[in-house]
Amino acid sequence: MPKLTFIEKDGNRKEVDAPLGLSVMEIAHRFDIDIEGACEGSLACATCHVIVDEAWYGKLGEPSEDEEDMLDLAFGLAPTSRLGCQIVMTEDLDGLVVALPKEVNNMLG
Amino acid sequence: MAEHATSKNRRPPGVYLDNQATTPTDPRVVEAMLPFFTERFGNPHSTAHAFGWDAEEAVEQARGQLAALIGASPREVIFTSGATESNNLAIKGAARFHRERRPHAVTLASEHKCVLESVEQLAREGHRVDVLPVGADGLVDLDLLAETVTEETAVVSVMAVNNEIGVIQPLAEIAALCRDKGAYFHCDAAQAVGKMPLDVAALGIDLLSISGHKFYGPKGIGALYVRRRPRVRLEALIDGGGQERGLRSGTLATPLCVGLGAAAAIAAAEMEGESARISALKTRLLEGIRGRLSGVSLNGHATQRIAGNLNLAFEGVDAEALMRAMPGLAVSSGSACTSAAVEPSYVLTALGLPEARARSSIRLAVGRFNTEAEIDAAVAELAAQVARLRREGSAAADYSPVFQ
Repeated sequence: MPKLTFIEKDGNRKEVDAPLGLSVMEIAHRFDIDIEGACEGSLACATCHVIVDEAWYGKLGEPSEDEEDMLDLAFGLAPTSRLGCQIVMTEDLDGLVVALPKEVNNMLG
Repeated sequence: MAEHATSKNRRPPGVYLDNQATTPTDPRVVEAMLPFFTERFGNPHSTAHAFGWDAEEAVEQARGQLAALIGASPREVIFTSGATESNNLAIKGAARFHRERRPHAVTLASEHKCVLESVEQLAREGHRVDVLPVGADGLVDLDLLAETVTEETAVVSVMAVNNEIGVIQPLAEIAALCRDKGAYFHCDAAQAVGKMPLDVAALGIDLLSISGHKFYGPKGIGALYVRRRPRVRLEALIDGGGQERGLRSGTLATPLCVGLGAAAAIAAAEMEGESARISALKTRLLEGIRGRLSGVSLNGHATQRIAGNLNLAFEGVDAEALMRAMPGLAVSSGSACTSAAVEPSYVLTALGLPEARARSSIRLAVGRFNTEAEIDAAVAELAAQVARLRREGSAAADYSPVFQ
């Protein structure tokens, strides 16, 4: 199974087994990583915002316009920001590293 | 008090040839704006009632009119207080957002002060900045720019039309060069929008600054085009309610937005005929002056320039003395008063012009409401005063006003 590493808010690295076909957000929930995902992956919020490791960002493909619109609303946005719900695990992403931003903006909350 | 205000409420006398400093608001624009000060006063961000919806609809219509003028989608247009704010937001916003990977910003020595000062501020914050020289014609050196822009460059800021000498920079070439390195191309188009065709998509511009009052719209409003695809990201300068896609918090000024939209719609409809008319007036002005005076040279590229602009050096005449001698003619020099002295225009100095020529230069900017009669009057006044000052020896070289 591919590996996925989360860098948590305190800098702690947590490597998990990432089932194929699940999104980074879903994997985070499965392993109790502190990612919200208030809209449950329907592209209506930016609470599953993650900052992708630079080495990996280019391998993910282009974010959709809807995802970019939601990222516009995210706090702590970085050049390699993505929504966790839009990154789906594949074999090619074995070793992917994403960091959790310091704060999230939950407009649904 | 009211009586005093009324008696003063008149157009100052004289011929106005300073249309690059500001333009009068077109009466059609004023008419479009008026209801939004009184009856239709709602807050465009109020989502719970008809007053808000009405204002929002007006703002969105204006956004669409402005977007159409520059070939953008309405969602790519952010309203600001003017081109100075737009330039600050574009340059600082882009550089700060990308500061980790792209700590470099590039601009030209002939840019507007607000661009140069924004870049200067970035330098103080630790960014690497390059302010490149321009050629004697005022145009960018594309080879030098290509050498300077790297994959560490966040933003390259080059104006469309220079505010003093009117030259038009090769925007498509600059854009291609920036895209090649992944740098944003920001274009200060305050002097270009509404005056010449501009298509951000065709040109490949990522960020474009607009000023309302430079093209017959109201003062106090401008806009920034921010490309959505690929998405251009900026760090906002103003924190607040997250209006304007989070890039510019603060309640929108509905009447001003409506005025800017109306000005854009008029410009889009009338640009072609208007440029031809202004160009003819400009030619009449230049030929009139040259027909009566020798020792007149044009500053900046002779043909690659905006229709209404002339920047002329009158050999042997001090520009400040000339302007004082013509109180009925509104023109400007690019000089700036410092506490110690009158400094010649830094734009003209950037062209490599000798100081004496820079000090003898004035800008004449023809606009929508100028007439042939005004041009003829301006020619007569200029010719008479230049001839007189030359006789009396107001040399630009030694700055000593004739009436000392």
